Parts: sequence; structure tokens; C-alpha cells
Amino acid sequence: MGGDAATPGSAPLVLDGISKRFGPVQALRDVSLRIAPGEVHCLLGENGAGKSTLCNIIFGTLAPDQGGMRFGAGPYSPDSPAAALAAGVAMVHQHFSLVGNMTVLENLMLGQVTGVPNRKAFAERIAELSGAYGLKLDVSRRVQDLSVGERQRVEVVKCLMREPRLLLLDEPTAVLPPDEIDALLAICRRVASQGAGVVLVTHKLAEISKIADRITVLRGGLVAAQASQPNIEIPALVQAMIGRELKSLDLVLAEELGLTPPPESEAPPAAPAHAHLPAETQEEPALMLDGLDFVDDTGVRRLDEVTLLVQPGEIVGLAGVEGNGQSELGAILAGLAPPSAGRVFVAGTEITGRSPAFITAAGAGIIPEDRHAVGCIPALSLAENLLLGSLSDYTRLGLLRRRQMRRRALELMAEFDVRAADPDVPFRTLSGGNQQKAVLARELNLRPLRFLLAAQPTRGLDVSAVEAVAVFLREAARRGVGILLISSELDELMAIAHRVAVIFRGKIVGESPAEPAHRQHIGALMSGHGI
Amino acid sequence: MKSLSSALARPLRDRRSLWTLVAIAGSVATGLALVALTSGSIWDALGAFGDGTFGSAYAFGSSINRAVVFALVGLGYILANRANLVNVGGEGQIAVGGMFATAAALNHGISGLPAGLAMLVPLLSGTLAGGVWGAVAGWFKVKRGTNEVISTLLLTFIGLLLVYGAVQSEALLRQPMTSSATLPESLEIPDATKLPLLFAASGSPMHLGAPLTLAALVLGWIVLARSKFGFQLKAVGYNPVAARRAGIDDGKVVILSMAIAGALGGLAGAMMIQGEQYSLKSGFSSGFGFDGLVVGLLARGSPLGVLLGALCFGFLRSGGIAMEITARVPAAVVLIIEGLLVVTIAAASQLAAHKEGAS
Amino acid sequence: MIAEHLALFVASSLRLAMPLVFASTGELVSERAGVLNLSLEGMMLTGAFFGAWGSWSTNDPLLGLLIGVLAALIVALVQAWLSVSVGANQLVVGIGFNILALGATTLLYREVFGALSRDAIPGFGKWHVPVLGDLPWMGTALFQQTGLVYLGLGLLLVTWLALDQTAWGLAIKAVGEEPRAADQAGVAIRRIRYGAVLFAGGMAGLGGAFVSLGDIHTFTENMTNGAGYLAITAVIFGAWRPGKTFLACLLFGAATALQFQLPDMGVTVPTTLLLLLPYVLALLAVVGAVGRTAPPAALALPYRRG
Repeated sequence: MGGDAATPGSAPLVLDGISKRFGPVQALRDVSLRIAPGEVHCLLGENGAGKSTLCNIIFGTLAPDQGGMRFGAGPYSPDSPAAALAAGVAMVHQHFSLVGNMTVLENLMLGQVTGVPNRKAFAERIAELSGAYGLKLDVSRRVQDLSVGERQRVEVVKCLMREPRLLLLDEPTAVLPPDEIDALLAICRRVASQGAGVVLVTHKLAEISKIADRITVLRGGLVAAQASQPNIEIPALVQAMIGRELKSLDLVLAEELGLTPPPESEAPPAAPAHAHLPAETQEEPALMLDGLDFVDDTGVRRLDEVTLLVQPGEIVGLAGVEGNGQSELGAILAGLAPPSAGRVFVAGTEITGRSPAFITAAGAGIIPEDRHAVGCIPALSLAENLLLGSLSDYTRLGLLRRRQMRRRALELMAEFDVRAADPDVPFRTLSGGNQQKAVLARELNLRPLRFLLAAQPTRGLDVSAVEAVAVFLREAARRGVGILLISSELDELMAIAHRVAVIFRGKIVGESPAEPAHRQHIGALMSGHGI
Repeated sequence: MKSLSSALARPLRDRRSLWTLVAIAGSVATGLALVALTSGSIWDALGAFGDGTFGSAYAFGSSINRAVVFALVGLGYILANRANLVNVGGEGQIAVGGMFATAAALNHGISGLPAGLAMLVPLLSGTLAGGVWGAVAGWFKVKRGTNEVISTLLLTFIGLLLVYGAVQSEALLRQPMTSSATLPESLEIPDATKLPLLFAASGSPMHLGAPLTLAALVLGWIVLARSKFGFQLKAVGYNPVAARRAGIDDGKVVILSMAIAGALGGLAGAMMIQGEQYSLKSGFSSGFGFDGLVVGLLARGSPLGVLLGALCFGFLRSGGIAMEITARVPAAVVLIIEGLLVVTIAAASQLAAHKEGAS
Repeated sequence: MIAEHLALFVASSLRLAMPLVFASTGELVSERAGVLNLSLEGMMLTGAFFGAWGSWSTNDPLLGLLIGVLAALIVALVQAWLSVSVGANQLVVGIGFNILALGATTLLYREVFGALSRDAIPGFGKWHVPVLGDLPWMGTALFQQTGLVYLGLGLLLVTWLALDQTAWGLAIKAVGEEPRAADQAGVAIRRIRYGAVLFAGGMAGLGGAFVSLGDIHTFTENMTNGAGYLAITAVIFGAWRPGKTFLACLLFGAATALQFQLPDMGVTVPTTLLLLLPYVLALLAVVGAVGRTAPPAALALPYRRG
């Protein structure tokens, strides 16, 4: 453990013509690649490109329809994660795979021990390992009480304990602040230097240039491009990833999303779309948060005196690493949880602790961060989802007026470019982008609409959908709606918002205009520095 | 009408129904083999089964009366299940429904009401009691997060024991003890409170419950397929948080749907007393609530499925009793067939789903 | 006199609790692994019948016990296949098995025993534990039971330790809580769940055979009479923990013992209240009136990878 010598017998993982289909969707098509021992191999691709499917096939969670793999000397076809682990493959999952009501120690012991384990000796082994990698862990705590970043540390230690010959990490950096990202990348490098292959799935280009030895770009289930150091050219890879000319994108957005190289100088970009901040008005603020506190069931303070104003027509970005109170704030604004203290006003109406129906009537639209858990009902039809909040308008004598619902749904689909064969198709059959556009269509059509909460609205969307969401938000602001945009992607906030507030451990720790000059300062605030 | 005919056509098309038919055929074949082994003549047994189901107005009517109970409980099950709730408490809801219907019917003030009301008030009392029994489980779920499978199961045992207690005590519902041979059961309810028989002249025991149940099934179908409430059930069932966000009071929907399921069970219990048994005995519900649950489970959300399942189980039970009496086939054989049916149909629907998923 | 009654009461409480202790210990393990066996009643009845039949035909209660357990294991194997591999609705399958077991044991009983049904069958006698059995009060209360009682208590203890201290127990709890996480940690979900259901089946078989061989020494139709449901209730009231579940079984056993003993002592308490006690207590427990309890998160949910 922690030894620097390459594991003897390390060998490449070779994928040969892997294909996988889910119903009508061809998730992977004839994918071949080679992951050499000692290399960090980045998998780049938009959502739905097949990155996770590929990882799951390597880890034995899914079986390929066609094609085969070789690992080391012989063929490799794991039929379960247990088989993959036995072959020396470990994986850090995008959605953590930990047992919430067990302790860290028990989670680490799971699948690793037999008979009557000696807990104390095991804990010492973990302490030694996590010390060696600089991963601080309190093994006696329950996983459900840990922050997202801490949970990921547990996942990483779980993998490292197995001394894998191949380590898969599926979008591990999405939930981490900048400095922890660097620490994680350092661990990846270290594992590789010990002779293991490392597969890092990501869509962040900055990470790729920092760490990748080799890159494979997936698009629509196909290998769209491959490159190795020192011949990695980011613009070409981006083009391969999104499958069209960069020039066709909204320039400001593309740049801020990191799809084009940042300008050398500190000069402001040309004609930013958000240059026109509306003039001061006499209206009530669209949103007023006054000293909001939230203490959760376990007694942890998730929100601490949050005070914030959003004026009509203004887009305020709330930046922060995930798990710093954004979800709780979203739940309070949506009427799904009452605050422990403090008050909330929408356009002058107090909505503190009121029901979602009341909040909607007060003029607040909500784009929730978890689209599938809160924003929609995937098993219902598109039309039903589009009109979920206004059923009463389509009811006569207690019966639903299906024909009117259908007609209205078709109108909304046209207006918001929601692409589906029919309003009656199940919502879950839509792509992520079209689902989000449908949620936007529903919320932006509330009357009255004075305030809109958009929580992580672009998560999991491809570039063109991100663009559409940005356009709809700006358009709404122009109409006078005040918008609170919560995002952990600073680039996105800088592109869309007028002003950015930073939340850290439930507190608003700073605020500044969304201008490139302030970018570094905001980034530092997000990771708790410079407060 | 179009959707009704397509609903009728659908079962023949999909693969799951094919497997279900195989399961039914297999269970019945096993049953026949057991009949042959235990009674000697399979034809006598089948004859008895036929006599016990369609052989006489009496047999047919009592089969229908059983089906009525199964259908009401099954309908309640699928309504609540649309909101993703699993009501396994039909048996207890029948028990309290029958108990309160008996109590109301034996009350002189009520039995002295004009004819229609004397019958209606006990029926509604039973319905209301069952509704409360169901709503309690819903309320626990909303307020305390208690799993409704567990609470309705426990409430069932409590309901059954309450009936047992009520007929043990003269202070409650037991008939006056005149000798040590006095049975622990209630007095017979007055004639004015009994449900009218539809074909009394032919000797059929079929009572007003049959058309009422048919109406309930049609109403249930409209509610589920067409109404705003049916849609709300579905929305809450799929995703309570998203439903709440959309302004639906999900807690109210949960309590209300459990109350409706319980009320249908209570109504069934009241009908069992007022339509057929006329006095309350311990264990009068005789497992009908569990049969109704199975009917609901196997109906896959469709009121039409409830109707078919209820008829199937109603005739199976009646035919089984007839086989026992006239062909001396042990009643246990019918239990075996029923158990096999339940297990194999549940397995078949799942196996078919696997096959579809794999293809 | 009082002490004598008390000793008798403790002894019969323990004896009446034992079928529940066997069955609920097994069911607890199965539920912790995420499989609900509503068929526990059917498994017990199967164990009771085949135990009696085996003992009657071999004239050896020990062989009978083995046959009873084996029969219950076969039911459990089918239940496991349906619950774990097929992914069928565990409620439906459980209810179906109970109906099936009632029918099958009733039919077999009439076919096999027929006219002999009144005869006692060879069962386990009471074991007067040396020395301890002679203790004045404790002896009567605790140490003049059949050997099966001590077997049951031993199995309970072993299960408790295994759940708490072994890798196996850890895997079971993880599988019942977060099967996906357990799967991805390399735990063989199916094997664990099959094992847990079979364990529940074996224990239910023992519990059933205890009724026919250890207590009553005969078989009657539907002789377990809801003991399986009561055992599940004990698991709920015991908050899915071995110690509390055992106490729940004792309490339920005591409530039953009182029904028989109070009239003997000239005390009249409505039996309904004593019969209601277990269910009311369990209901109070699950609604959080007496301590908050939550079932294993993946209880009754089949696991499919991907």
C-alpha cells in the first residue's frame, strides 16, 4: 500500500468493438479503445454520449450487446461488479454507492472482509492508507451525515483499499470545489504512477489539459476523436464533442463555458448579452430573503442568516460548491420545507412556510435542481407535465378536458421548442434538454410571474440545450421577471447573471458583479478562501 | 366506448396475459389432478362444481354475492394503489364495516326509520367505519411516515379481534344469553334493515349489492381514467414531491384514497351482514378481504380486471364448496387451487415483464 | 401459591413465545436483507405438519423435526426464487403461499392421518435440566422445558452475534438498506438474499415443528393459527433488532399465557384485550408512539442491476 513500484503484471485494458443499446437508443456503437497501465485516460463527451455506459460495462454493471474486452493476459467479461473487483477494477460512481445509515468504517468493510472482522485493525489500515493519500476521514461517522465532498473521499478510499489495477472515476469532480479537484487529480496521477490505468470521465476541459495522458471523445455512442500528450488540442476536441462548428454557438456563452480559449487580456468580451441591466424601478423586489436560517433534522445548520434581494428584471447568480445550502434554499423557495427562522417575500407577498400552491399564486416559478424528483413526473405524458400546475383550468365537473389540454400543450411545445412526437408521449422518453425546456415552458407561463428560481438549470444538458435555457432566462428577465440562478458552474453564472452572490456553508460570503475581473475572487470565495 | 373495447381487446394481445392464462391453466389442471386423486370421479366433482356455480339460481346468486365483496375490496385496492399505496387491510375494513352496520341495524331508532332509510343508514355506517379504518392508515402515513402495508395489516388483526370481542360481550353486540348454548353472535338484524333480494322468487340470494357494485366499478373507472382526482392520484403515486410542487395536496390525496379504499371495504362488510348473513359472528369476514386484495393485485389497475377477477374467485369459492358437499372433494383442494393461482399469476406477470425487458 | 403461579406463568410464557422466537429470528434476518416473507405463516404450518408426519411415520421426533425443517426449506426456496430471481410481488406471493400451505396441509392431514387423527404423535418430552431444574422457583420457570427451547435461545444468540459482528451480518444489512451500493462493493446480492430467505424458512420450520412436536404433540388443521403473522408483528414491534424482537415475542407469549392462566386464578379480564395487545403495541411502535422505528429501506423491493 502506498508503494511506488508498479504492480507487477499490470497490463492494458483493451475494448474491442463494444456496442450497447437501450431500447431505441444506441448508447455505444463499436467503441474500441486501449487503456494502458500508468496512464490517465480521460473520457470526454456531452451528456448522453455514452461515457457512463462505457464505465458500467467495464465495471460489470452492464453487459455489452456486442464486442469484447481483454484485460491483462486474457479475455475480460465481468458479469457483476464483484467479478470486476476481483479482476482488479475499481470504480468511483457519479451517484455515490454508499449505505447511508452505516458508518464510514462499515461501508469500507463491506465486501472487503470475511468471517469475524477485527474492526480496530481494519480502522488502522484505513487510517494508514488515507493518511498516505492525504484523505482525511472520520470512520466512526454515519455516511448520511457527511457532506458530498466527504462522501466522495469515502468512495475514493474504498477504491484505493483494493489497490486496483484499473481505476474508473465517473465525473468525480462535479461535486468538488476547485482546490479539492486539484487534490483528486493528484491522487489520480499518483495511482497511475504506481502502474495502474486510470479512466477519468469529465466534461471539464481545464482538467483535461491538466492531467490527461490520453483522451477519447465520445459523441452519440461513437468514438469521435482520440489524442495523446503532447498532441492534445482542446478546440479540436470540443468540436468533436459537440459535433458542430464552435462559431454556431452563442459566443459569450461558449467562451464562458470554456469551449473556446479564454481571452489573453482582461478586456471585457464584446457585447455581452447581459449588458443591459434594467433601470431602477419603484416596484417591490421580485424576491426578498430576510435572515433565512435552516436547521435540518440532524441539527445541522444548513442555512445561516441568508439575506438577498433580487430586483425585477435582474438575474442574480448564486455561486457555490454543491452542498453548501443551495438545495435547502431551493426547497424553502419551492414551499417543500419551512425555514427555521427568517422570512421570504415574493413581489411583496410573504410566502414564508406557505404551501407550493400559495407560492405559485404569489408569482414564483421554480425550476428545481432535481428535475426528476421535483420538476416533473417522468411516467406521465408531456402534456400532463406541461399543465401539471394548472389542472383546474382544464377541469369541468371534476373531469379533465383532454382535448383542451392537448391543444395548449402543442402551443407550449411550439413556443419553447420542446421536441417530441406528440404531447401524449411519456415525459421520460424526452431527452434531458427537451425535458428541461418543458419545465421552463410550464414555469415561465405561470401568471402572474414575478420571480423565477432556476436551480442548476443546465445540469446534464448538452450544449445546445444549455444555450436554449440561457436564452429563455434572459428573455424572461427582459420581461421584468427577477431571476435567482443557482449553479455550481461558475462559468455558467458569469455568462448569464448580472450579479453573483457566493454561498459557503450556508452563508452568503460575498457578492460582486458578474464581470471577468471578479472571476478569481468569486472562485476563491466558493472554496471558503478570502472571506 | 372506444377505450372500453380496446381495454377488452388488450388482454388478448400482450404477452403477460398469455403467461397469466398459462398460470391459470396450470393451477386448474393441478386442481383437477388433485380432485381425481382424492374423490375418485373427476366428472362427479366437475358436475358438482357446475351445480355449485351456474347450476341453480341459488348457486349463481351466492357466487355473485361473494364476487360483490371481492370486487369492492379489489376496487378500493386499485384506487389507492394508483396513488402508490398498498392497502392490505381489506379484511379488517370488512370486519369493522360489518360490525358497525350490525350495531346500527340493531339500534331501534334506526331500524324504525322508513324502509329505505332503515337499510341505508346501517349501510352508510359500515361504509363510514371502514373509511375511518382506512383513513387512519393514511393519516399515519402522512403524519408519521408509517408504511401503510404494515399499519393496514395490523389494523386488520385489530378489526378482526374487535368483532370477536363485540360478540363475546352482552354489553356490546352479543345476543342475550338464555342458556349456556347461546352462541357468541349478535341478534338477527330486523327485516327493514336487510338489503332487498333481487330475485327472491327464484330462490336466488343475490341482493341489491350486485347492481350497486357494478355502479361502483363504472364510477371507479371514470374516476381513474377521466377525472382530475384520478389524475391527482396518479401524480401523487408517481412522484409526491413533484405533485406537491404543482399545487396538489399530496397528504390529503393519500388520506382520502385510503379512506375511499377503506370505505369500499366497509361497504362490502355491511353488505355481507345486511345482504346475506343477517347477524354478526366472529370471523364472519372469512378471508374475503384477502381474496379481494388478491383480486385487486391481479387486476393490474383496471376496474375491468377487478370485475373479471372477482367473478372468477366468486365462482371458484362457490364451486369449491359445492364440490365438498356433493362430491366429497376436500375443500382444501380449492384452497390449493386458489393459492397456486395467486402465486403463479404473480410470477407469470413478472416473468413476462422480464422477457419483454430482455427482448 | 403466588410464587408457584408466577413460575408457571413464566414457564408457559416462554413455551408459548418459542414458536414466535424461532420464526421471528429467521424473518428478522430475511427482512434485514430486504425480503419480506408474508409466507412465514405458511412455512410454519408446513413445518408443523411435516414435523408431525415425519415423527409419526419414523417414530422419532428428531427425524420428524428434520423433515419438518426440510419441508419448510423447500417452501422457502420457491419463495426465494420468486422474490429474488423473478422479482414477483412479495405480498402477493406470501399470501398465495399461506393459502396454498393451509390447503395442502389440511388435505394431506386428512389423507395421511385420517382416522388416526386423534392419536398423539411422538414428540419431545420436557428436559429437566440437571441441577438448574431443581432450583426452587427458577427451576420450574426456566429449566424444565423441552430441549427445543434451549436450541431456539441458542440460535437467537448466534443470529444476534452474527448480525452484529460478522462480515455476513454487515452484508445482510447493506443488502437490505442499499442493495445497489452493496452490489457495487462486490457483495453477491442474490446469494445473500437466498440465504436469508432460506434461513427464515428453516427457522419458521423449526417454529412450526415446535408447535406440533414440542408443545401439543399432535397436528390439527391450521394449527399455527396466525403465529406467522404474529412473528412478523414481533419483528415490527422489535424495530428489526434481535434483542427487542425477542422481548416482543416474550411479551406476546405472556399475553397468550395470561389468557389461560388468569381464569384459573379467578381473575376475569376480557380475553379480547389480551389478544389485541400485540397488535396494538406493534401499531403504536410503527406510528412512533413508543420510539421511532423504520423498516429496512429496501424491504420488499426486488433488486435489478443497471
